[in-house]
Amino acid sequence: MNYFFELITKGVGFSRIGRIICSKESKRFISTPNIIIPMKKSLMNNLKFLEEFEDHEIFLILKDFYLQIGFLRDKFKKTGFIYTHNGSMESFKGILASNIDIFTEDNIIPSIPFNTPTTVINKEFAEEEIKIFIEESNHILQQHNNLDFGLSIKIYDYSELFDLYIPIIKNNKNVRILNLVDLFDNFNNFRNIIKIIFKIKQELDNNLVLMVSGRIIPKFYPILIYLGVDLIDSSYLLYLSAENFYDTIEYLLPIYKIKYFPCPCTICQRDLKHSLTDKYSSEKTAQLTLHNIISAYTYMNKIKLYMRMEDFRGFIEKSSFDDMNIISTLRVLDNQYFNILKYETPLTQINKVINCHGALSYNRQDFQGFRERLINRFTPESWTKLIIILPCSAKKPYSESRSHKKFHSVIRNYHDFPDFQEIILTSPLGAIPRQLEDIYPVNSYDISVTGEWDNEEITIASNMLISLLEKFDERIPILCHVKDLGYFKIIENARSKIKNKIYFTEVKNNLTSNESLLSLEEKISELKDSYNLGDVIPENKNFLKTLTRKFFKIIDYQFGLNTGNKIFCNGIKTWRNKRSHQIEISDLLTREKLGKFNASSGQIELNLKGANRMLPFSENSNYIVFDGQKINGNTLFRPGIVSFSPSLVPKDIVVIFDKNKEKIIGLGSLIVGSNYIKNSITGKIVNVYEKI
Amino acid sequence: MSTKKYSDNNLIVEKIKKFRSKAIKQKHNYEEKQLDKPISFWIKEDRLLKKKGKEFTIILRTKGCSWALGPDGGCSMCGYVQDSTFEKIDQAHIKNQINYAFQQKLTEIEEDKEDYVLKIYNSGSFFDDDEISESTRDFIYKKIAKIPKIKELVIESRVDYITQEKLIKMRSSLDIYIEVAIGLETVNDHIRNAYINKGLFFKDFLEAIHLCKINDIGVRAYLLFKPPFLNEQTAIDDCVSSILKLAELKVNTISINPLNIQKNTLIEYLFYQKRYRPPWFYSLFKCIVKACHERDILKEVRIISSPSGAGSKRGIHNCLKRECNEVMIKSLRNFVLTQDINHLIRSDKDYSCDCLVKYHLQKRYI
Ligand code: SF4
Ligand SMILES: [Zn+2]
Repeated sequence: MNYFFELITKGVGFSRIGRIICSKESKRFISTPNIIIPMKKSLMNNLKFLEEFEDHEIFLILKDFYLQIGFLRDKFKKTGFIYTHNGSMESFKGILASNIDIFTEDNIIPSIPFNTPTTVINKEFAEEEIKIFIEESNHILQQHNNLDFGLSIKIYDYSELFDLYIPIIKNNKNVRILNLVDLFDNFNNFRNIIKIIFKIKQELDNNLVLMVSGRIIPKFYPILIYLGVDLIDSSYLLYLSAENFYDTIEYLLPIYKIKYFPCPCTICQRDLKHSLTDKYSSEKTAQLTLHNIISAYTYMNKIKLYMRMEDFRGFIEKSSFDDMNIISTLRVLDNQYFNILKYETPLTQINKVINCHGALSYNRQDFQGFRERLINRFTPESWTKLIIILPCSAKKPYSESRSHKKFHSVIRNYHDFPDFQEIILTSPLGAIPRQLEDIYPVNSYDISVTGEWDNEEITIASNMLISLLEKFDERIPILCHVKDLGYFKIIENARSKIKNKIYFTEVKNNLTSNESLLSLEEKISELKDSYNLGDVIPENKNFLKTLTRKFFKIIDYQFGLNTGNKIFCNGIKTWRNKRSHQIEISDLLTREKLGKFNASSGQIELNLKGANRMLPFSENSNYIVFDGQKINGNTLFRPGIVSFSPSLVPKDIVVIFDKNKEKIIGLGSLIVGSNYIKNSITGKIVNVYEKI
Repeated sequence: MSTKKYSDNNLIVEKIKKFRSKAIKQKHNYEEKQLDKPISFWIKEDRLLKKKGKEFTIILRTKGCSWALGPDGGCSMCGYVQDSTFEKIDQAHIKNQINYAFQQKLTEIEEDKEDYVLKIYNSGSFFDDDEISESTRDFIYKKIAKIPKIKELVIESRVDYITQEKLIKMRSSLDIYIEVAIGLETVNDHIRNAYINKGLFFKDFLEAIHLCKINDIGVRAYLLFKPPFLNEQTAIDDCVSSILKLAELKVNTISINPLNIQKNTLIEYLFYQKRYRPPWFYSLFKCIVKACHERDILKEVRIISSPSGAGSKRGIHNCLKRECNEVMIKSLRNFVLTQDINHLIRSDKDYSCDCLVKYHLQKRYI
């Protein structure tokens, strides 16, 4: 199977890091997401343009004249090109035919243009025109079925017309790039934009490269990438430059109003600064264009960097404050599309600080995913006799914070403290059982704490607390050691839904004052034996150890209810591997290694021994059935996959079965989720970390 | 009137008719006196078939174009009907209009050294009996025959009205060079019918040329430069391919009309909504140069263009600087008169305007 696009890392939302394979022989790749820079004579005349973009990976050519000359290939050796024509389909066909050798041999991808009509007068008109375009495009695609193509998609504001394109894309495997020409021209239509993006992702091959052109300015780049866009054509900046707009990313400013140049590019600091008082001139326009392109290009570099190094969702949230439509887009995605996006967004990130920027962060996909999974997969320990509710701390994990250390100085003084279930209330995650404080995102989020909670925060935490408490016996007393009004409200909300008795400590000054801690102690002593447990304390005292308790719950969280009981049935022995900073886990009795806990991802990486203990396998767990008996290499590719569980999330650990689903033959970390696997025929699916 | 369907895309018709009815509502009630004078007439330098000369143009006021007044609403960019009466008028008025124009200009023509081409336009069809009756046409032929200075005649008509007998009649009445001008607009059937709503197929045009040729009558084809729904580059591509095709068919004259925004039309509506901008001069020049460069087209066919509204917002223009447009208008005029393509090719010593950069940067979006 020849492939064109390769997904390398799946990010939040539909975002992804990938590459387009121009030529495997010469190892020429175009990394995505990326910005497409137009090759324009007026830009090329400027030496600085060549200097600046010599190493850029992808350009747009609009003039057939550039196809002819060797110059392009000399100057831009490692580069990919997209060729399209601005005029009639007839001319495009002519140019394609007369340059066919260049398109077959070189790294120039022709993109079928859709220029006429420029506008429509009603939906029926648009429909007719789209049908004509599709017919002609079909012809081109079939005539040149050995060439990869981009296909323009224009919907003239009628999102329902997108459906017309589905057959042509499905039927022509050489359509590799979908160029969404006008989808983003009007971001007020964010609902329709989202609808179409979901249609593309759910009905079409997920290895199609999504390109956008049209009236797009850089401040939308982050949200576009979140929506799954791989290539962004920056050409509209040429238009804006000719209208004398200076782009600062946040704003588009008329150049004549600018007194200070916020950009360090040489154009701004030298040329533009000096021609500030000059009247409009072609030279000045050319400089402005160059600045605008450089600034978009730099912004794209920043995005690429942050996708790899930082919490990209947080960056998108920050960028959204410059445009209400971006905020709305994020909200709609979070609130209405979670059930699809949860299979797109990894539930772990390594060594990243997750800053919550307020309401927009509350329902991030990974936060929702975390809450949902926790509620579904957490079960109380059978020996719980007291529930203690505590506030969160800024330091993570909580137990390493000053305040929690103080709480523990009281709580852990009781020899039977493992019988207490601590629950930490926090915004915006909700209610966290102590055992899960080391997993993502509990281990890495941060939020400004003022003690004031807004209604949404209270609702989120209340709902989660209620769902958790409902799992416990209603006779178990609940002791709350909290202070601010928000916490009281949450507990009040819970009180109305559950039957358990709720008690409060007496807090003086703050929660860690001597008086308060004393009160905590008194209340624990008073309550801890008020509920008669009967005979539930486990025989195996290892189960009561803090780390064992944690790993039971973490493994359940990862693989589903009851997994901990199966794998760690004998209890566990753990030790810290000094070199890898991981905690090795082995069976207490048999001494067999079962896996290790990776503190940075918050995940337990089972080994085959550990995984085999999960058998018989519950249908809800993460599995993949491989088309064979033995895995070669360290990567599982799409064609080797026979079936898979429907709820796979990127970066989750997955169990790999042999063809007959009888034997576990490997373990790996998912690169993509179920949606992608379902909607693709090529691509890397799992990084295998252990196999037989 | 033929009833065949010209396009699947009938959708545009309703829209056009909406604007047309607005025009009809604003109808002007002409006094008898006004009906005895043409809408306008003038004498101007012009290109004759093989040399420079002068034109005498008369625009007659008639009932108006049947296509525009009929159930199909007419062409999307045409507002000529605005100048018409909408109702049949007594043919005596038309004869009077002719008489009036000749009365005013005859002496000038006769005393001139240069030869003349007479153009009689009625913003409709010369051969449509409802607009100009057979007897009026005879009257006109006779009138022309009497003026030796007039060496060429141009009239315009929709293809539907061009018949063998009307051509024979005209040919036998006059022994000067005659050209029938046909609004083909483009060789592309889809653009012509779906966007312009011309109600004309290319094959019918071919038949009309054939009729003219066998009757020894020349053909002038109008091309519309940048029809509605086209961007600049597509306009160039379309017009180039039209020029090449028409040259191959050996039409005698190609007259390129850059679109100008006329009142109460669909295109005016698009223009107000900023969904259409009249073409740039740069595009027109590029187009003609591209079609004629390195080909001998201009030896076979003359290409002319006298844009209406040139240099204004509603007509073909570059930026709105006067100098910029004037330079372009002059170059175009020189090209038309000499048929020398070099007038359209910019050289470094020529005046150049900053808007050229803007044109290059924005072309993709306009
Ligand atoms: S362009 Fe000609 S045919 Fe079309 S409506 Fe106008 S006058 Fe009639
Ligand atoms: Zn100008």
